[in-house]
Amino acid sequence: QPFKQRKSLASRKEEVIGIKAKFPTKIPVIVERYSREKYLPLLDKTKFLVPKDLSMMQFINIIRNRMNLSATQAFYLLVNNKSLASMSLTIAELYRDHKDEDGFLYMTYASQEMFG
Amino acid sequence: MNSVSPLATQYGSPKSRRRIEDHGALTGQGVQPRNMGYPDNTTAEGEADEVDKLKSKILTAWNNVKYGWTVKTKTTFSRSVPVYLLGEYYFLRLDDQIDRFQKDFVSRVWLTYRRDFPALEGTTLTTDCGWGCMIRSAQMLLAQGLLVHLLSRDWIWPDALYTHFVEMEPVRSSSPSSMAPFSPSSTITAHTSRDSLLYMHCAGGLHQDQVHRNILRWFSDHPSAPFGLHHMVALGSSLGKKAGDWYGPSIVAHILRKALETASVVPELSVYVSQDCTVYKADVEQMFDRVDPQCDTGTSSGKAVIILVPVRLGGENFNPVYKHCLKEFLRMTSCLGIIGGKPKHSLYFIGYQDNYLCILIPITVSHTLIPAKTTFP
Repeated sequence: QPFKQRKSLASRKEEVIGIKAKFPTKIPVIVERYSREKYLPLLDKTKFLVPKDLSMMQFINIIRNRMNLSATQAFYLLVNNKSLASMSLTIAELYRDHKDEDGFLYMTYASQEMFG
Repeated sequence: MNSVSPLATQYGSPKSRRRIEDHGALTGQGVQPRNMGYPDNTTAEGEADEVDKLKSKILTAWNNVKYGWTVKTKTTFSRSVPVYLLGEYYFLRLDDQIDRFQKDFVSRVWLTYRRDFPALEGTTLTTDCGWGCMIRSAQMLLAQGLLVHLLSRDWIWPDALYTHFVEMEPVRSSSPSSMAPFSPSSTITAHTSRDSLLYMHCAGGLHQDQVHRNILRWFSDHPSAPFGLHHMVALGSSLGKKAGDWYGPSIVAHILRKALETASVVPELSVYVSQDCTVYKADVEQMFDRVDPQCDTGTSSGKAVIILVPVRLGGENFNPVYKHCLKEFLRMTSCLGIIGGKPKHSLYFIGYQDNYLCILIPITVSHTLIPAKTTFP
């Protein structure tokens, strides 16, 4: 079940406030698997505290390594389940433009569709 | 199944004016579409069994229903906006431009599902119906690359079987079911080549028609063809795919890369596949500089690189923010087209008019044509 549906908006907001107080230099990011994804494994966790100045490229590499993906395996992180982010953007910049009302930044990972 | 054949693919505004159709319909229903430029002696078996013919017709019809319900309609275009085709553009209000557009369009290589080819290694499969469309799309894209590389973008196939397929229709509403939603994933491709003189270098003065035939022959469904289905499937095995599997754009991009690495027919051409949508200029430049031992001259002249960028253009659905970018891409003269697309089916996108894309559909089923060696002096 997606993170957003597991917790109410109020409790998510509260959580973000707690995180920000405790880790002022980190950004709370939720990374979940695309609901119809068939090829990529599930991550062992969904909540990430990411340093503000980390680039999208670095972040993707961290996730890729966590899943032990090969270089040729398709892997895409979609911000708000919509679009890819530029690899050179920092997490702080993404957060500024795409954060959710609850204070988290949501990302979905997916490979590619297969065609027959 | 969702599949009414995407004769027109629409994204953006739902108001529709016309359909763009691949030339599947104009060659008759695919039983022997374009013969890949080969003389038609493979099917001329004197007293070919009427029963067999009927059987094959039924099979073909069934496959077309099964894999891509083909609605035959006249292709209609608007006169008021230009149509772009792989970097070229045509204003269809002028008759000579219509003619040029048609010639250009039918000169693109169109590859489809085939059946009755030699069984794929390790399997009993003699057809790629229902699973090979991604590979077919990739082959078409590579074929376009080879045409541009060994001939030129302006080259026109003089023997193309074509009738006038462009029809002008001022206003027409077409049923939404014929519109395919543009799907999230696709592979974008660009072609860069350093100098345009490379064609003489590689073609070595061969007659253009011969070069064209050679290119088509490399795509035969035969184990010995360097870019044929058999070889593509074999290369896919190292990427965890086997015959009969569904392939994705990223996987076929890497298959193309490997195919070019292993093929001896065009040593000066290579493929670069980006990871995480990033193209490293230095890596591409390095490919230009790599001296190929198979090249007699030992220089990097005539080198060319095809750049493939596997992307995902949305989550569940195509994200319209990419619309403008895609169009711009298809206007680039170095563009080889886009493969991927519709849910379940892969398509080869080569142009657009307004908010409609021109596509070649690999779904029609055709007999395997084995090029008779004798016809290739």
